Amino acid sequence: MLTELGDSGVQILAISPDPNERSQELAVRLRARYRFLADRDLGVTRRYGLVHVDGGHKGQDVPRPTTVVLDRRGIVRWLSLADSIQVRPDPEAVAHAVRELAP
Amino acid sequence: MIRYGPALLSVLVSLGAIAGYLAFLRVPTVRNHPELYLVAFALATVIAAAASWRAARWPNLVALAVSAVLLVLGGYFNFVLARVPATATALKVGEPAPDFTLPDATGAPVSLASFRDRTPVVLVFYRGYW
Repeated sequence: MLTELGDSGVQILAISPDPNERSQELAVRLRARYRFLADRDLGVTRRYGLVHVDGGHKGQDVPRPTTVVLDRRGIVRWLSLADSIQVRPDPEAVAHAVRELAP
Repeated sequence: MIRYGPALLSVLVSLGAIAGYLAFLRVPTVRNHPELYLVAFALATVIAAAASWRAARWPNLVALAVSAVLLVLGGYFNFVLARVPATATALKVGEPAPDFTLPDATGAPVSLASFRDRTPVVLVFYRGYW
């Protein structure tokens, strides 16, 4: 989790096909500053070109794990696309990318 | 007991790798180097194979079978099951992210554009628990 970001004023939007209730539970359990958004039909994930076809444990489509840092103008400044479900970007690398943004 | 020291060592290397990987999954350097457990399984296989070569007794052969199975299963998971194929993503560094509106945990719509000129945003796409 991106706890390294602390109070840097950044908004974290976590997107998955999970139903809202599950995401809510997760957010409360982690006491995270995440805002969980439900992309039930993967419409946004598909538009972003981030669908891992048949990648779920039941053979369903799931998002390709991806982390994106956007500056205040909504421009992509840093991007991490997963090649393996085992690997996540180092939170410190994400925090570094956020700190590098112009104030 | 000492006779089967290498067999014991082989099993301990395998089990230690599994325990260590799971215990330190939250540490990015461990999590992001899953090939380390494969190196450990390969090492355990070599130790057990050498012991079996010198004395084909059951403790050595069991250690060899255990480590070889772990090496094959671990390799299959790491190189096949866990792979995420490349996708033609719409995201490019230096270009704007496409706008979207999605419901948050309370059902309220949240649009990406609403953060523009206010705050940086980190988007995290994750697989979810379904």
